[in-house]
Amino acid sequence: MAAISNNNIALAVYEMLKGKSAKEQAEAVPKVVEFLNRKRLLSKSKDILTRLEKILNQAEGKLEVRTYSADKLSESHKKELAQALSKRYGGREMIFKEQIDERLLGGVRIEINDEVIDLSIRNKIKKLKEHLTKRQ
Amino acid sequence: MSTNHIVENLKREIENFSAQAKVEKVGKVVELFDGIAKVSGLSDIKSSEMVLFPNGSTGVALNLEEDMVGVIIFGDFANIKEGDEVKATGRILEIPVSDAILGRVVNAIGIPIDGKGDMKAAKTYPIEKVAPGVVTRLSVDQPVATGIKVIDAIIPIGRGQRELIIGDRQTGKTAIAVDTILNQKGQNMICVYVSIGQKDSKLRKIEARLEEGGAMDYTVIVSAGASEAASLAYIAPYTGVSIAEYFMDQGKDVLIIYDDLSKHAVAYREISLLLRRPPGREAYPGDVFYLHSRLLERACRRNEQYGGGSITALPIIETQAGDISAYIPTNVISITDGQIFLETDLFYKGIRPAVNVGFSVSRVGSSAQIKAMKKVAGTLKLDLAQFRELEAFSQFGSDLDDATKRQLERGKRAVEVLKQPQYSPMKTEHQVVVLYALTKGYMDEVPMDKIKAFESGLVEYTERNAKVFFREVTEKKMWTDKGEEELKKAIEDFKKNFS
Repeated sequence: MAAISNNNIALAVYEMLKGKSAKEQAEAVPKVVEFLNRKRLLSKSKDILTRLEKILNQAEGKLEVRTYSADKLSESHKKELAQALSKRYGGREMIFKEQIDERLLGGVRIEINDEVIDLSIRNKIKKLKEHLTKRQ
Repeated sequence: MSTNHIVENLKREIENFSAQAKVEKVGKVVELFDGIAKVSGLSDIKSSEMVLFPNGSTGVALNLEEDMVGVIIFGDFANIKEGDEVKATGRILEIPVSDAILGRVVNAIGIPIDGKGDMKAAKTYPIEKVAPGVVTRLSVDQPVATGIKVIDAIIPIGRGQRELIIGDRQTGKTAIAVDTILNQKGQNMICVYVSIGQKDSKLRKIEARLEEGGAMDYTVIVSAGASEAASLAYIAPYTGVSIAEYFMDQGKDVLIIYDDLSKHAVAYREISLLLRRPPGREAYPGDVFYLHSRLLERACRRNEQYGGGSITALPIIETQAGDISAYIPTNVISITDGQIFLETDLFYKGIRPAVNVGFSVSRVGSSAQIKAMKKVAGTLKLDLAQFRELEAFSQFGSDLDDATKRQLERGKRAVEVLKQPQYSPMKTEHQVVVLYALTKGYMDEVPMDKIKAFESGLVEYTERNAKVFFREVTEKKMWTDKGEEELKKAIEDFKKNFS
């Protein structure tokens, strides 16, 4: 097991860039890329970036909400969702990332970090199937 | 069932169904190999919490790392893919239990595998439980009658005891266990036989034998076969003891046999190495002692205030070439309350059960022996010890004084009497009669090749002609002078007519 995880690298990058002016940051970024290249970590850059994003969101009190739906969500739907979710997640600013997944048939599936609220039709059908075929 | 009926049923079921939206904790399979899955996500998961895979398999989180969880998978992992969603259940691994489990063969997660249909579960029991505390316990003072003379007389086992059966392959370890189960008929005992890493053919044979002896009525078999995943072998003994606890909680006495714990340790070693835990002696992980101590500590005798009942454990360990100083044997010897040591040499000499009386001990069992048995066993132990000493010595010379010769003859007869074929358990009171006749010297003049015939004839004869003695031993657990006189007379009468 590697002693330094991708999470460690992302954290280090965040610590380095924190509190610096835009100009300084612009100078630092190529150095980070060069560092990753030198340490042969460019292949892991995707994972490091997602982790960096998480760290940033955490630090700034933002919440990334991934939604999956069969059709595009309307603005009113989104507003409703944000209201309902803010009850559970305590009024943090929410960043919505939408994805269209026709296999859901309808409804919406919400992913926040590693929590899932599955309100899709597909899930309901699956649950009904389990209910009807379960062993008595 | 008519079509209408089916439709009605369906309608009712659908009405009962409510799809509650629930927040679920999920993770993704990152790595998958050899029955182990590395899962990302699943924050806030507990150690040994159950998780669900999309194909219906269950798993248990064993390794909780910074951003990864090591999960062992029970059952089929062939169609789990990388990226699959893994759901946390929030529950510690548990198995279904009910009274209907008696007579069944179940796998390591409590699902019947004997083809006798589903089992309705009354309750679920967690497979890991902290052993009963000091205040809830009682010392061992009730016997477990194994029906095997050498064990009941010299290495007695009490209810709530943990007695290890240890020996090389093919020395009759399982035979002792199966005989003990067979002898529990009518002894107010429930038996759990846990088969770990055994051949399915062997298990089938045992099951058939138990069925034939009418023992399946009070027996449960938990099986994790040789072809199943190591994860199942790892949890099988805990499943077994949870079933035992279910019956103990009803105030019943339970006998549990783990056949065998060396394979259990090997399964745990496999899992630990795959989870990259550091190996220690013989490549076993550091907590392999705790693995067995927490299991065997759940054997106990509880006092009435806490519901009574007991769990007697008979773990089995297979040694390699008689080496009892290997890692796992020494561990389990130190955990248990004594061991029955079986030897290949004795087995091939025809001394079966091949118990080495010198190395075998029972640290707490003697207080569970009935008084009559204690009386005859004391002399027997002495006879055997002296015999062993003289036997080695007598090989050098033929000129021995009479006392030594007598001692040798007595010892030979004692060894002969303690031989006992498989599947022929003997009642305690019959054992007392035979050992009484032996230790009082009534068998000294009987030729060696007629000892067995003498023994069976004597039991039959005294049962008819020494009724007072038998009544005293069964009811009061000890004979009086009156009973002893009667028995002496019966033995002498029988001997006169025996040829």
